[in-house]
Amino acid sequence: MRLLHCQDKGSMTSLITIRLSRLLRRQSLLSSGFTLAAIGLLLALYVPSSFAQAPAPDPAGIVTGDKTNVQDAAGNSFVVSEPTDKAAPDYADKKKAFDEYQAQAAKEPLAVKLADGVGHVRIATNFAWTLNTGYLVLFMQAGFALLTCGLVRKKNAGHLMMLNFAAYVFAFIAYYAVGYAFQYGAAAINAAPGNLGGVPGLNKFLIGSGLWGFVGGKGFFLTGPAYDAGSNVLTLFEVVFMETAGYIIVGSICERITFGGFLLCELFMGAILYPIFGNWVWGGGWMSQLGNSMGMAHGYVDFAGSTVVHAVGGFAAMALAIVLGPRIGKYGPDGKPRAFPAHNLVFVVIGTFILLFGWMGFNPGSTLGATDLRISVIAVNTNLSAIFGSAAAMFFWWFKFGKPDITMACNGMLAGLVAITAPCAFVSPTFAVVIGIVAGILVCLGVLLNERVLKIDDPCDAISVHGFCGWFGAVSVGLFADGTYGSGWNGVGATSYLGAAGRGVTGLIYGDTRQFVMQLVGATICAIWAFGGTYVVFTVVNKIKSIRVSREVEIQGLDEPEFGLLAYPEDRAEMEVNA
Amino acid sequence: MKLLKMIIRPTKLDEVRDALSTLHVTGMTVTEVRGHGRQKGHKAVYRGTEYSVTLLPKIMIEVIVTDDVVDDILATVIKTARTGELGDGRVFVLPVDQGYNIRTGERDVM
Repeated sequence: MRLLHCQDKGSMTSLITIRLSRLLRRQSLLSSGFTLAAIGLLLALYVPSSFAQAPAPDPAGIVTGDKTNVQDAAGNSFVVSEPTDKAAPDYADKKKAFDEYQAQAAKEPLAVKLADGVGHVRIATNFAWTLNTGYLVLFMQAGFALLTCGLVRKKNAGHLMMLNFAAYVFAFIAYYAVGYAFQYGAAAINAAPGNLGGVPGLNKFLIGSGLWGFVGGKGFFLTGPAYDAGSNVLTLFEVVFMETAGYIIVGSICERITFGGFLLCELFMGAILYPIFGNWVWGGGWMSQLGNSMGMAHGYVDFAGSTVVHAVGGFAAMALAIVLGPRIGKYGPDGKPRAFPAHNLVFVVIGTFILLFGWMGFNPGSTLGATDLRISVIAVNTNLSAIFGSAAAMFFWWFKFGKPDITMACNGMLAGLVAITAPCAFVSPTFAVVIGIVAGILVCLGVLLNERVLKIDDPCDAISVHGFCGWFGAVSVGLFADGTYGSGWNGVGATSYLGAAGRGVTGLIYGDTRQFVMQLVGATICAIWAFGGTYVVFTVVNKIKSIRVSREVEIQGLDEPEFGLLAYPEDRAEMEVNA
Repeated sequence: MKLLKMIIRPTKLDEVRDALSTLHVTGMTVTEVRGHGRQKGHKAVYRGTEYSVTLLPKIMIEVIVTDDVVDDILATVIKTARTGELGDGRVFVLPVDQGYNIRTGERDVM
């Protein structure tokens, strides 16, 4: 926009106004609407909320981690705090312990000072753990890109790679702007990550309050209380989990979605769909607090995200696949499905192994700390479910169709991984095996159901692997959790639960019916939220402007028409003359 | 001069080339082609769904030879390229009017 040299300030202002309005008028109604909404949101949310009382954030990490973070293996705190509730039955014992601590602290001040160092090291250990497992989850992006690219036709290979790549970029932008704040803006209230030093500044719900929070309200654009060392660990770790849900949808929408429509899907996922449900379950929101508010066992429990991540992605994928419709030629005139063979099985297998490797960060990392020694059990459970899922799928397919299918062997492993993601910390290895076998068979049945009965075209089986098995994973917490881990989960039963001291999250088989009901209800809420939200929004978007490419583009393959490049340029017969 | 068009299995290429060199065939053109015969290809299965494969990959060898050696070459090639299974291929003999060497400009006499 060239500014003409004007003597009169007034005329310059009106000149700029004329030029700006001409620019806005040239844009379509939809895009200028989005522009104005974005500007409005920016202005509204970038106001630092300085009204709530909270300790100052620690961006340099120099006041995070001290003697208050020192714990023994059982989780008993080194520092004994003064009991405040004079009416409590154990007040006398607590007061005695506090007085003893005070006396000993006075006798050995150097030990107390050393405890500050110990606490700092503990927090640092957990920082390193959480960040590094987060990097493993980040690497899963490459795995999924390879997996999905290998499963589709050669003419769309570049399109798949670009979708997976852009998914990371654009969902991240949405999560950075508002997603993290929506999900964790109120974490300090009901879900403070003690392993990372807590995030005391993230203490406000935008919508809701107390035990009934719905959307977090602090930390927009990672400013204010989110510009803190502890909070940034959480940001990094949680953004890569959001990205997982973001790329899951690629599996079902590929080979026919426009790039612009896809970017809207990713922005929607990163800003709204994922973070809000994530707030309800992990950010201290209402679903996690149903144990406290309505006596529903430990509230809704999902350890590493069978539903928060995978089912959200899988059911969103289902809605989008329905809105888009099947690929041209997928269903014949008689309604029978046609085969579109994978173009590169090498990619599919490598991709699956990379995902398995990355899952070693996904599940064990969700303790947010290496000081939680359950990480080893989690790692083994994860692997057991993966391999039994793969074996079950292989044998099922071998039995039913006469040959073990490579792609279904891979899908079986992924199904086992998705299903164990919620219960991995709460079950024994025996039940990890059971979960894997059930998931392996469930994914095969799901693939056949979608392709042959529901006639939903899902090129990479994202709906079965992530949607159905994710739902099952959350429900299996309510079936198989044995109570050895998770004491005090979601603020319930910290001292004793179901009559036993130190008892953790428990499932139906071990005597907790309410947890089972809670898991069934919660997992179903997830499916309704993800499917319904996505379906409504994208039916509207599709009506305003179609998110499906034209028939000619789809038949040609999306590499060249959408991006001007071919993944395999030798496929184009062309003579190049170099002068 | 005759043009021999031989459509054979890709796995038989090396054997047929060796056989042709023992018969002193000096040059050849080899192309990767696809096609089918009377059986119109066959059916395959991908993840439980059947689909038809009608264009099967083959190798086409074209050689130009003098009329007197045609019968010998035909007999050798057919014997070498045969497996007895469906899909062994075909051989065609076509007349050639003229042939020229591009580098030297001289007319092929063979």
